Amino acid sequence: MSNTEHREQSTEYRKRGGRNKLFPVLCTLLSVLCLCGMAPKASGKKKVFIKTLKNGHYQLTVAGKPFIVKGVCYNPIPVGKSHDYDFWADPSQPWMTDGELMKKMGINAVRFYQAGEDIEGMRRVISDLYKKFGIRTMMGHWLGFWNYPAPFYDDEDFRKKVKADVLAMVEALKDEEGILFWVLGNENNYSFSGKINPWSSERIDKMQDPRQCLLARAETYYTLVNEIAREIHRIDPNHPVVMGNGELICLDVANEFAKDVDIVGCIIYRGKTFGNIFKSLKNTFNKPLLLVEFGADAYHAYDKKEDEDMQALFLLDQWKEIYRHVAGNANGEGNCLGGVMFEWTDEWWKHNEWDAAGWSRHDTESNWSNGAYYFDIKAERNMNMNEEWFGLVKIAPEEDGALAQDAGVLRSNQRVPRKAYYVIREFWKHPSKTSSIKVSERPGPGGKQESNAGAKSPGTPFQRHT
Amino acid sequence: MKKWIAVLAVLLTVSASAYAAEEKAKEEAKCFPVYTDAKSPDNHFIPSGWMGDFGDLSMDDKYMGEPHAGSTAIKFVYTAKKTQNQGWAGVYWQNPANNWGSKKGGFDLTGLNKLTFWVRGEKGGEIIDKFSVGGIKGTYPDTTEVSIGPIELTTTWTPYTINLAGKDLSYINGALCWVANADSNPNGATFYIDDIRFEYDPALKPAGKKTQDMPFYIYADKGAIQNHFIPSGWMGDYSDMKIDVGAADNPYFGKSSIKITYANKASNGARWAGMYWQYPANNWGGADGGFDLSKATKLTFWARGEKGGERIEEFKVGGIMGEYSDSDTAGIGPVVLDKEWKQYTIDLTGKDLSYIIGGFAWATNLDVNPDGAVFYLDEIKYE
Repeated sequence: MSNTEHREQSTEYRKRGGRNKLFPVLCTLLSVLCLCGMAPKASGKKKVFIKTLKNGHYQLTVAGKPFIVKGVCYNPIPVGKSHDYDFWADPSQPWMTDGELMKKMGINAVRFYQAGEDIEGMRRVISDLYKKFGIRTMMGHWLGFWNYPAPFYDDEDFRKKVKADVLAMVEALKDEEGILFWVLGNENNYSFSGKINPWSSERIDKMQDPRQCLLARAETYYTLVNEIAREIHRIDPNHPVVMGNGELICLDVANEFAKDVDIVGCIIYRGKTFGNIFKSLKNTFNKPLLLVEFGADAYHAYDKKEDEDMQALFLLDQWKEIYRHVAGNANGEGNCLGGVMFEWTDEWWKHNEWDAAGWSRHDTESNWSNGAYYFDIKAERNMNMNEEWFGLVKIAPEEDGALAQDAGVLRSNQRVPRKAYYVIREFWKHPSKTSSIKVSERPGPGGKQESNAGAKSPGTPFQRHT
Repeated sequence: MKKWIAVLAVLLTVSASAYAAEEKAKEEAKCFPVYTDAKSPDNHFIPSGWMGDFGDLSMDDKYMGEPHAGSTAIKFVYTAKKTQNQGWAGVYWQNPANNWGSKKGGFDLTGLNKLTFWVRGEKGGEIIDKFSVGGIKGTYPDTTEVSIGPIELTTTWTPYTINLAGKDLSYINGALCWVANADSNPNGATFYIDDIRFEYDPALKPAGKKTQDMPFYIYADKGAIQNHFIPSGWMGDYSDMKIDVGAADNPYFGKSSIKITYANKASNGARWAGMYWQYPANNWGGADGGFDLSKATKLTFWARGEKGGERIEEFKVGGIMGEYSDSDTAGIGPVVLDKEWKQYTIDLTGKDLSYIIGGFAWATNLDVNPDGAVFYLDEIKYE
């Protein structure tokens, strides 16, 4: 049962004045527990749920109040380390520095992609962020997407293992006050067509028609997500389940097979606008929308230099559009719960994770191309997206004295906010007004006059390259 | 007393003359000629910006046979021989001559709101893809770009207007340009232009985007005037692709279909390839050129493979994102083509098609077509 439906059914139950025969027994038991000081804490304040307003808008409610997610993806990998670094156990506790900066900016939630091994360490981070800075946690799980070899979503043992792993995480963390959502998967749907981490099975391959195979993979994956969502609701009715999906691809299939997820979490890189996504989602999978990953990099691949203005301009436009579509705005679709920017800090390992020497180098070579980020699309081979430069804050370079050698690990907790940090901070203070910090509108790179028809030139691929 | 009356009369006369002169000046200010007659001092721009297959072009700017007004018109002859292998040609009126935005020669035409000109074809049936105002980039870029077209000419002088109301005309170097292509004019085109000028019309309102009527063709036949969008968005291994928009061998309907040949060379290192039909050509979201196709509920097209078994990963509409972005996107795929013609449909229900730059696209790769692919498309249209 989805969180929304759960709440609706509870409301219906109350309306009917429904009680069962066990009610007097339960009351007696509760009284005894109270006397013994063992009564369960009132959970109303920490409960997170989605309210459907009379006009059909979806409103997230947290601790009894409307809540717009002003989030950021958080993966504080220090310079010199790679994705497998256990930041949960980082002795320099970067979340303390970051939490303070985030709070000052107005961020109210962080998204972690995957739980760590050390449950106590995770509890400490989640608790610190919430109790010291009021920042809630969206805890994610890859659902085995990056397993090697490929994720076999059509294999029963694999499904059981993934499910058990997620539920163990939920069981361990569900009582943490700072928990906001559970986020299942991240762009796993790109594997249906084989673009990323291709997988299949004998059953699916027998279908032969590639479209039917794609749809079968989608059904297989979304039913797994649904089974997990249903189990999470059973053990933790207090926190909604988000499904992390790349774009809107295959959500028509999810509409049929993943009805129990509460929120559609979309990963979107469309430049300054999300386009028709808010309306489109209503037609394909009418669930509340959370933009669980979006943003812009701060490196101008054509000018070959850092460009904070460019990043700030895109992020500001993106947030304006998010606010236009949150509940209560008559001019929007009312189905957006907020957004989660990618990301808090730069990550220096990302350009080439296999090159250990590169983990200590802030690479400027682009990893993928996206014409929606049009200021630098005329870079060589149209490669304009710089994976190591998406941070709202950058890590101070070594010569500034921010880095220290500690147990063989180059670490830095010194953060330098980029312009986007201040621009979005000002926007959140007064969302109805234009930010008082000016972001310059600049033309793209100039060039020789080009022909008006028929010239053969390399263009922009359809999808984000990862 | 008589003296005072005389003085008053003189003052009134002077005032009236001054008023008339001012009005005349205002009237003159409301008209800014691009071309009136050969060597006229009123001319402000030069038809110097020859583009595309410029070797196919010749021009006589003092042609005296049946001008629309005055003593001369401009005669253009486009042979469509593809001398520079481009398949299209066009001419910009610039100031100074050959100014592609490197010099500050444009004019501030603020206060004017339309460009008018007269055109006739030598034989009738000549197709001009578009007439445009502005659009030259460079260091000193034009402040606007507005186009009309395609236009099929007749043998009689016909006036055309480009509505510039509400546009920023503070710097215009490219006063007018025309573009024609060889597919639409396989035997070339000879046509005449006269009396080009910017004007002010107080009744003119800014042009809204016209919602296009259905069916709205992307491709009907080679050179058909109802064709829209240009197959200009070459993606991936673009060197490995060939496109023939006039394949006469076994079209589904009409005289021709589109033949696409994708060789398995990975010449540009991408191992995939694709093509967008765009408007205007090469528009990756940098130009304000989208069509309002809100009336469409689906896009249909016919396709077949040369051998059968060719796999196209995606056919789609929209999805171009840039400074000007498509308002939505939709697609189908993967699709394995048959040897026989088969119709495919992209469902557009619930989609926002109010602004579409990328009218149609396909993409595939070598992993699913290790030997490359040859396939045909026909009758691509919004309905």
